[in-house]
Amino acid sequence: MGTQPLVTLVPWTLIAQILNLFIQMYLIKRFLFKPINEILQKRRELADKEIRDARDARAEADGLKEQYETGLAQARAEAAQIVQGAQKEAERKAEETVRDAQKQAAAIRARAEADIAQERKKAINEVKDEIGGLAMDIAGKVVEKEITESDHRRLIDEFIQKVGEAS
Amino acid sequence: MEFDVTGARIFLRIPTGIPVLGDFMITETLVITWLVMLIITGLCIFLTRNLKVENISKRQAVAEMIVEAANNLVRSNTGGTKFDRLIPFVAALFASSVVMNLISLIGLRSPTADLSTEAGWAIVVFIMITAEKIKAGGVLGYLKGFTQPIPVMTPFNILSELATPVSMACRHFGNILSGVVINGLIYAALAVASSALLGLIPGAVGEFLSHIPILDVGLPAVLSVYFDWFSGVMQAFIFTMLTIMYIANAADG
Repeated sequence: MGTQPLVTLVPWTLIAQILNLFIQMYLIKRFLFKPINEILQKRRELADKEIRDARDARAEADGLKEQYETGLAQARAEAAQIVQGAQKEAERKAEETVRDAQKQAAAIRARAEADIAQERKKAINEVKDEIGGLAMDIAGKVVEKEITESDHRRLIDEFIQKVGEAS
Repeated sequence: MEFDVTGARIFLRIPTGIPVLGDFMITETLVITWLVMLIITGLCIFLTRNLKVENISKRQAVAEMIVEAANNLVRSNTGGTKFDRLIPFVAALFASSVVMNLISLIGLRSPTADLSTEAGWAIVVFIMITAEKIKAGGVLGYLKGFTQPIPVMTPFNILSELATPVSMACRHFGNILSGVVINGLIYAALAVASSALLGLIPGAVGEFLSHIPILDVGLPAVLSVYFDWFSGVMQAFIFTMLTIMYIANAADG
């Protein structure tokens, strides 16, 4: 087992060292740079994705907010409309009720008046009949002279008419 | 006491019969290079186990830091991402160089203390520089570059072009070799000193103790901070930086 001179160039060693350097380069590339760069790339993508997601979420939130606000405004308007409608309806109903009541009252009064008129007529008729009968009796007793039934009735009616006009 | 610094040991000599290239020799350089490659690859695999996108382990943080550092080094020195394909090469060069330089700390012979290693690297870098220059200006543009600014300068330009890989290889090799030589000298000198010192003790005790180089413990470690740690990392960094710079400059034209 000898030794080389201290300073020398051995062609085969030189070639072997060049090859070793390239093998080392491949090994470092394969076992250090490739996995680490992949991981760094993945992390960058993840960060990008997160930012993108956040932006998307904000846009969505903005959209939702706008939608919500529009909805709210719409709801408010609708509520106002409903209240107004209800007010109008209530007014209308109140008026109607009043009107109905008035009409009803008028009808009641009319009927009452009619009733009164009818009652009076009836009473008069009764009185008429009674007086007629009475008059007949009296006439029969007082006046000995017999008169026909129809002449009689006409006389009584005339009498009653006079009584009715006088009352 | 004799002291000599030799080159790498030859474990196996395989005759190839090719005239210029000579015999293929399995030397300490190659064996330790393979060991270094194993260490680096093993470290890469260890660091990139169980990779996660979130909630990463310390190991993964280190791996990511290394990759980011390599990316930043190449990108900031070449201005942009057009040399991204160079990153693994630069990383391999730097990692190999650093580990090879520092492996002398555990008593092995650095493969970088063999000129063949650095010469190989420098040739690869030289080919890359030339390829970039040809890609940037075409073959004619590349050749015309040698006659700039005046045709008289042609020989000097060729010389300066060739000096690039030679200086890169020799700078790295020289620094590491000097570390090896100086460390060897220090160890040997301290062994002699401790032998002389302990030999003063009379009798068999002194005889026995003088064989133990007690002074070799401690002091060389201090010196190795410069010769192994500083110099080793520095040279690896310089070699890598020069590689990036030369290639980036070549592409700029």
